[in-house]
Amino acid sequence: MTVMAANWQPLEWRTLRRTLRLAVSQVLIEQRSFWRSAEYALFTFALPLALLLLIGSTTAKGYLPGTHVEGQMIFVPSIIAFGVIVAAYVNLGAKLATLRHDGVLKRIRTTPLPAAAYLSGILGSTAATTLAITASIVAIGVVAFGAVPRVSGLAEIVGGLVLGVLCFGSLGLALSSVARSAESASPIANASYLPVAIMSGIFDPTFSVPGWLSVIVGLLPVRALAQILQQGYTPVEHAPLSDLYVLLAWTVAGCAFAVWRFRWH
Amino acid sequence: MIAIEVSGLEMSYGDRQVLAGIDFEVRYGEVFCLLGPNGAGKTTTVEILEGFRQRTGGIARVLDMDPAAQPARVRERIGIVLQECGFPRQARVAELIDMWRSYYINPRPLEELLAVVELTADRNAQVRRLSGGQRRRLDLALALAGDPDLIFLDEPTTGFDPESRRRCWAAIENLRALGKTVLLTTHYLDEVERLADRMAILQDGRIQVAGTVRNVARQACVPTRISFTAPERLRAGSLTLPACLDISVSGGIAVCSTASTAVALRELLAWAAENDLGDLDDLSVANPTLEDAYLQLVTGGTR
Repeated sequence: MTVMAANWQPLEWRTLRRTLRLAVSQVLIEQRSFWRSAEYALFTFALPLALLLLIGSTTAKGYLPGTHVEGQMIFVPSIIAFGVIVAAYVNLGAKLATLRHDGVLKRIRTTPLPAAAYLSGILGSTAATTLAITASIVAIGVVAFGAVPRVSGLAEIVGGLVLGVLCFGSLGLALSSVARSAESASPIANASYLPVAIMSGIFDPTFSVPGWLSVIVGLLPVRALAQILQQGYTPVEHAPLSDLYVLLAWTVAGCAFAVWRFRWH
Repeated sequence: MIAIEVSGLEMSYGDRQVLAGIDFEVRYGEVFCLLGPNGAGKTTTVEILEGFRQRTGGIARVLDMDPAAQPARVRERIGIVLQECGFPRQARVAELIDMWRSYYINPRPLEELLAVVELTADRNAQVRRLSGGQRRRLDLALALAGDPDLIFLDEPTTGFDPESRRRCWAAIENLRALGKTVLLTTHYLDEVERLADRMAILQDGRIQVAGTVRNVARQACVPTRISFTAPERLRAGSLTLPACLDISVSGGIAVCSTASTAVALRELLAWAAENDLGDLDDLSVANPTLEDAYLQLVTGGTR
C-alpha cells in the first residue's frame, strides 16, 4: 500500500506540472497568434480606447450631479470593465466558436494535450490581452483625464480583473457552445452584453433606469464588475460584497454551463 | 505482435446497435484496411479505438492498453488523421508542427517531419495559403508529430484527384516502410487493393470477411470467370454448349462462371476439341477481384 502511494504521488505531481507547462506554452502560442493578426488586435484595443476618449471628452466632465465624485473616477474603471467584457466574453466566445467550426478543437483533441491545459492556455492568453487593454486604459486615464487609481484600491482592481476575466471568460465559453455557427457568435455576444452595458451605466455614469430594471441590472455581472473596479478608483456608496457575490455566482453558472455543454466539434 | 485487438466489440446508441460484436486484429507494421459502406460502423469502431467513445461491450486493446481507460496514454502513441479538420487561421507550417510537437513527450524532429511530408520548402508558408494537397500532407505531419507507433487514417483520399491520391498512397507506403502500423478506413476498393496487407469488410455492424485481400476475394465465394470469344457456329445456333457448365453468351463473348477453374477449363477445352473449335479465341481466366467480392457481400451479388 505504501509502495503504491509512493508511486502514485510523484506521478500525479508530474502530470500536474506537465499540464501547467503545456498551459503556459499554449498561452504563448495564443498570444503570438493574437498579435500577429494585427487587424484583430488593433480593433480589440480600439473599441474601448475610442470610447474612453469619446466619453471622457464629452459627457462625463466635472462632478457627477449631486455628488462629490468626479466623473472620470467612474467612467475610466467602467471602460476597464468594458475592455474585460470585449476581450473575455466577445473575443473569446467568437474565437472558440471559430476554432470549433474550423475543426481545430477536434484536431487538438486527437493529441494527448489535456483539455485543461488547452482551455487554461486560451483563458490565460485572454487574461494577458485583458491586462494589456487595462494598462492602456489606466495610462490614458491618468494622462488625459487625471484619473489615478487609489493605492488602497489595488485589491479591488486586481481582484476585479481576475474575477472579471474568469466570469466573462466562462460566459464566453458558454456562448461559444450556444452559437450554432462561427458567424453567429459575434452578433450574439454583442446583442447580449451591449444593452446590459448601457443600462449598467458603463458609457454614461449618469444614465438612470427605472427601479425594477435597476434591480435586474444589479443581478447581472456587468454593473457588478464595473462597480468593483470603480471602488479601486474612488470610494463609492454601495455594497461591494453583493457585487462580489453576483460576479461569483455568474462565474459558477458560466463554468457549469460551459462544462455541461462544451463540445469539441 | 498485435497492435490492435478487437474481440466481441459491441456498441449501441440507445436501442440502436451499431456494432454487433466484431473481431479483428491488426499486427505491428502492417497496413490494415477497414472497408465498408457508409453507416457500416467504421467510424464508430475507430473512435472507440482512439478513446473517443466508450464501447458498450467486448474487448478493445490498442498497443496493449484499454483506450477507454487510458485515452491520454493511448493518444501519446497514436497519430490520427481525421477528415476535414481545419488549422488555426494565423499559423505557419513549421510553427504549427512545432506546436503539435510540444504536446507529445517524445516528438519526432521537425526537420524529419517536414521531409517526410515534403513540406520543407513551405516551412514558413501561412497555412491558409497552402493548396489542398499540401494541407493534407500537413494533416499527416501533425499526426506524425508525436512519432506514433500506430496511425489512424479516416478515408484519407476522399475527394482527391488521381494525382493527389497517388501521392497519398505513396506516403502511406512510406509509413509502412518506416515500420508504422496503419489502420485505414475507406470505401474505395482500389485503395484497399493497393495498400492493404490485410483487411476486413464491415457491414451492418458485423465483420463479413477478414484476411488478406486475396483471401477475402476467395472467401466471398465469387465464381472465377472464364471468358472467350463465342465461335461463329455458337452464335448461329448450330452448336450446343456443354450442359455441365454455366455459360452465358452476350455480345459475342461467352462467359463461364465456375467455382473450380481447372475442372471447368478441362471440360471447356474438351468440348472445343470435339467440335473442331481449335484453341478458343481470347481465352482468359479472371480470378474474383475484391470488387466482385465486395459487391457480392454488400449488395448480395447484384451486378
